[in-house]
Amino acid sequence: MKSKNNNRVERAGQRIDVYGFLARVYRKEILPDFLGQIRSPQLKGALSAMGGELEDDFFSRPEEELLEDLAVEYTRLFLGPGRHIPANESIHHERDDGDWGSLWGASTVEVKKFIETSGLHYKDDFTDMPDHISVEFEFMQKVIEKERDAWEDGDSDRAMYCLRMEKMFIDDHLIKWVPQFCGKVVSEAELSFYREMAKITGNFIEFEKEHIDTYISDA
Amino acid sequence: MSKITRRNFMKFAAASGAVLAASRGFESDALAGTIKTQTGKDFSPKTGMERKAIPSACWQCVSRDSMIGFVEDGRLVKLEGHPKSIRGAGHICARGQGGVTSVYDPDRILHPMMRTGPRGSGEWKRISWDEAISELTGRIKKLRDAGTPEKFLFHYGRMKASSGALIGGMIKATGTGSIGNHTGVCESAKWTAQEMTWGGHFDNWDIDHTKYMLIMGSNILETHTNHMSVAHRIMHAKVDRGVPMKTFDVRMSNTAAKSDEWIPIKQGTDMAVILAMTNVVLNKGLYKGAGEEFLKFCKCTEKFDDSTPNKIAALKKHYAEYTPAWASKISGVPASKIEQIATEFATTKPAVLIAYRGAVTNYNGCDCERARQVLSSLTGNVDAPGTNCKAVGAGWKSAKIPKTKTTKVKDIFDGAPKGQPESYPFPTHHASHQVLDRIKAKGPGTFDLALWYCYTPAFANGNHAGNIEILKDEKLLPFVVSSDTSYGDSTHYADMILPDATYLERFDWEDMVDPTQTGEYYIRQALVKPLGEARDFGDVMIEVCNRLGIETDYKTKEEYVQQSVDMTPGVKEAGGWEYMKKEGVWNGGKTHYFSYKEVILDPKKQVCKVGGSIYEDLKDPEAICAYFGDDVLYDQKAGVWWHWKASKAKSADEAQEKGYYGTKSAYKGYVATKLGDIAYKGFAPDKINKSGLMELWSQPLVDAGYNALPEWHPAPNQKNMGPDDMHLTTYKVCVQTHSRTQNNKWLTEIYPNNHAWINPKDATTRGIKDGDKIMVKSSIGEMESFAHVTENAQPGHIHISHHMGHWAYGRYASGKRSPVGVDDADDKNIHWTWHGSHPNQVIPNRGDRLSGFQRWNDTVVQVTKA
Repeated sequence: MKSKNNNRVERAGQRIDVYGFLARVYRKEILPDFLGQIRSPQLKGALSAMGGELEDDFFSRPEEELLEDLAVEYTRLFLGPGRHIPANESIHHERDDGDWGSLWGASTVEVKKFIETSGLHYKDDFTDMPDHISVEFEFMQKVIEKERDAWEDGDSDRAMYCLRMEKMFIDDHLIKWVPQFCGKVVSEAELSFYREMAKITGNFIEFEKEHIDTYISDA
Repeated sequence: MSKITRRNFMKFAAASGAVLAASRGFESDALAGTIKTQTGKDFSPKTGMERKAIPSACWQCVSRDSMIGFVEDGRLVKLEGHPKSIRGAGHICARGQGGVTSVYDPDRILHPMMRTGPRGSGEWKRISWDEAISELTGRIKKLRDAGTPEKFLFHYGRMKASSGALIGGMIKATGTGSIGNHTGVCESAKWTAQEMTWGGHFDNWDIDHTKYMLIMGSNILETHTNHMSVAHRIMHAKVDRGVPMKTFDVRMSNTAAKSDEWIPIKQGTDMAVILAMTNVVLNKGLYKGAGEEFLKFCKCTEKFDDSTPNKIAALKKHYAEYTPAWASKISGVPASKIEQIATEFATTKPAVLIAYRGAVTNYNGCDCERARQVLSSLTGNVDAPGTNCKAVGAGWKSAKIPKTKTTKVKDIFDGAPKGQPESYPFPTHHASHQVLDRIKAKGPGTFDLALWYCYTPAFANGNHAGNIEILKDEKLLPFVVSSDTSYGDSTHYADMILPDATYLERFDWEDMVDPTQTGEYYIRQALVKPLGEARDFGDVMIEVCNRLGIETDYKTKEEYVQQSVDMTPGVKEAGGWEYMKKEGVWNGGKTHYFSYKEVILDPKKQVCKVGGSIYEDLKDPEAICAYFGDDVLYDQKAGVWWHWKASKAKSADEAQEKGYYGTKSAYKGYVATKLGDIAYKGFAPDKINKSGLMELWSQPLVDAGYNALPEWHPAPNQKNMGPDDMHLTTYKVCVQTHSRTQNNKWLTEIYPNNHAWINPKDATTRGIKDGDKIMVKSSIGEMESFAHVTENAQPGHIHISHHMGHWAYGRYASGKRSPVGVDDADDKNIHWTWHGSHPNQVIPNRGDRLSGFQRWNDTVVQVTKA
C-alpha cells in the first residue's frame, strides 16, 4: 500500500509527463527521434484508451514520407499559408472585455505576466509568442515538477502553493481556450495524428479542470 | 464529465513518460529559471502593471521623428513625440502614433517562406532562417565565384542613416554595385537642381526666424520629407508671430486651406510662375540690398568673376520673355497676383520659399527647382536666418564596414542609354522607377538574383500592369528575395520572403535634417522584441557576409549602432551608448548659417586653413596650388582649386587639358573657389562639377547641350490636349504614407479609400454626380474610381491620392488577408468594402527632362462616368 504522499508524488509525475509530452507535440514539427517513440505500441494502446485512434498506416508508413506529411500538416494547421489556427491563447480565449482575437492580445500579456511572476523567464532564443500552447503546457509541467519536489521534501505548504498556481492557470487560461482550439483542429486536420492529438488534448484539459479542486482538497 | 477516466489517464501518462524518457531531452524548452514559491507575491494580471517609457525614433515616413514608446509587459501600447527633441518638440503625427498596430499586423510575415506554387500563386512553405540564409548566401557566392557579382540586383525602398550605411555597405561588400534606390520616385529633380546650383542637397526652411512663407506645390502641413518638425513650426509662426503664409497649389489641400491665401495654379506650371516672379523682381529692382549682396556669391554668366551689373543684365535679358502675362496664360494665375506675391516675397525679409514635390513632379521638375534657387538668390533669401538654408543633420561616425571593389550592370539604373527616349543628362539620383522597364529592355540574363528590401516595385512605381508582367517573368528575374515586414503586392511575386523586424523592433542611429540648423543626434531602439521569427535585415546581411567570409567587428546591427554611437564626437563625451539609450537625443552642435562664407585663405586678414601660414596675395592663384597639395590645380574658367588625383583623370596633363568642368568626377577633388582676393569654401559641389559659387548659370548644362539658365519647356505629352482631356495629379494625406501604412488598421480606418476629386464644372459636362463610379483612362491603361465632386479641385484636373488600391497587402489595405494572416479581433470592424484605386494604374514611368525624376503629376487622362 503506497503512502498518501507517494500517491501525490506519483500523480504529479504522471501530470508532468502528459504536459511534457503534449508540449512537445505542439512545439514544432515532429522530428525523427520523436516520431520513432510515438509510434511505439505502448503509446498506441494509451492513445486508444484516451479516445484517440490513429490509423494503422501511421505505424507502418516509411518514416521520411510520414515526417514530410506531418510537417506539411503542422504548417498548414498552425502556421499558414492559408486560413490556419494559430496555437496562441489570445486568438481563441473569448474574453468578457472583448479584447481577444488577435495575436499579442490581452491574454498574451496576462500569460507572460503570470509566467514571469512565477520566477520563470522566456529564453532569448524563444521566438514564438508567450501564449503558445506549448509554452503554457511547459509552464504547467514545470509548476507540477516544483509541486512534486515539494511533496518529496514533505513541504506541503510549498506543494499547496504550486497547486493553487496550477488551478489559477487552468481556470484563467487553459480551460478558457484549449478545448475550443482543439475542436477547431479536429475539424480542420487532415492527418489522423493531429486530429487525435487534439481530441486527447481537449479531453485532458477538461480532465484537469475537473480534478484540480480534488488535488487541492486532498493535499 | 470528462471523456477520460483516471485509469486511462494513468495509462496515457505512463506512455507519455516513456516517450519523453526515450527520446532526447526537450531541446526546445521555451522557459528557463526557477519557480519561486514564496507566498505574498502578486501575479494577478489586473494589478502591478509595469509601464516602461523608451526613447526611440519613428520611421513611418522618412521624417523619422524622435518619439517615446510605452511598453506594458512586453506589449507596445502607445507612441508619443519626444519632448527633448528640438526637431519634433514633443510632436509626432497621426501616422507615427498609429505605428503601434504595425507590430501586431495580423497579416504580418513571421517566418521565412519559400514559394511552392507558381510565382504569384500565393503558395508558400515555412523554412528555417538557416535554410533562407544558406539559399541567399549560396546564390551570391555562385555569382562571386563566377566573377559576375553584379548579377545580384539589390533594390531598396527606404534605407536611411545606420540602416543605409550598414546594409548598403554589406551589399556592396558582396561585390555588387547593381543597387536601385528610391529617390527617383521621391524628389530627385529637386536634389539634382540643388547639386547643380549650391552643391549637396536638401534645403531647410528656417521657419523660426522667417517673416514670410511662400509655398509652392507642397502640402507640408499634412505630409513632407521633414513633415512634423517643420509643420509645427509653421503653425507657431503663423499663430504666434502672424507670419503670412501664401500657398500656390493645384488643389485646395489642407495646407492651402490653413494658409492666408490659396492661389490655384494649373498642373506643372509652378516654374512658369516662379520665372515670372523673378521677372518682376528684376524689373522692379527688388534684388537691391540683400539680393544684390548675395549675387556676389552667384555665378550668373559664363564668367565666374563677372561684375554684379553684368550679372543683373544677363539675368534681365534671359528673363525678359517670362512676364507675368506670359505665365498667367500658362498657369491660370492672374498676372496681377503674380506681381503681388513676387513683391511681397521680395520685400518681406527674411522669407522662405517652400517648393516641393508638387512643383517638380513634371517634365520641367529639375529646372523648376533651379528657377526657385534663382528667385531665392535674387531676393537674398539663401542660407541666412529665416531663409532657405543648406540643411544640417547629425554627423555620425560609422563603425568599420568591410569594403571591396564593386561592379554594376550598365543601362539599368539611370534611364535609357543616351540617344534613346527616356535618357537623361543628369540622373544624379538615378531613375530607379524605370529599373523593371530597363531589365525588360535588356532581356533575360541581366540578373540572376534580385533582392528587394522594404520595397514594393509592383505598387510604388508607375504602370502597375507592366510591373506585374515583368515580376512574373522568371526568365527576366530568375530568383527574387523580398525582405519585408508584411505580405504585400510585391512579396506576392517573390520566390523567398525574409520576415523583417519593424522599425519598432530594431536599433539605428538617425540623422534627419534639423529645422533649427543645429543637427540633432538621435537613435532608434527596439521597443519590443521582433515578433515571431522576424529579424532586422541588417542582422541578416551581417550573417550573410560573415558566411561569405567577410568579417565584421559586430555580429548584430545593435552592436554596429552601439560602436558607431560610442565613437561619435560629442555624443561620446556626453556618455555614448548608455546616454543615448536613456535620453534618445543629443543636441550639442552649433547652428550653421552662411556656410558658403567659410574662408579658406584670406591673406589680408591673415586667415589660413590649409596648414602653415600663407599670407601672400592671390593674384597668382596657380602659385598657391602647392599650399593646398601636390596634385592641386587651379582652373581659370571655374575659379576653382582642385585635387586632380581625386577625379577620373589619368594624369595632370589630362586634367589640365580637360579642365575642372570637363574632367569626370572633378568635384570630388574640390578645394576652394576664388572670389576676389579670398579663397572660400563656398557652396562645395556634390555629384556635379560646379564651383563654390551658387551656379545659377550652369556650365555642365551648357556642356551637355542645354540652356545654362532655367528655361521653360511645355511638356510634350500636353501639347495637343483636347477639350475632353484632363490633368491627373496625385497627392498624399495626413494619415497614410505612399505604400506602407495601408494595412495599419488605425490609419486605414480613418482613410480606407480614395475618391477622385473633380470640379463641379467638369463633373456636370460628363454627367458625373458626387459618389458616381468613374473611369480614368490614359495612354497606358484605365482605372476605376468614385467621384468626389468639389470646388477644391480645379477645373480641368482630377486629383487622386497616392496610397490606396493594393491588391495583396492584407485585409485592411486590399480586403484580402495574406496567406499567413490570422484572425483579428477587428476583422468585424472593417466597415469599408472598397479599398481605393491607385493612380499608378494609369501613370507611365517617365522622367523629368534633366534628372529623370518620375513625372507623377503630368499624365493626361480622359474621365467618364462608368
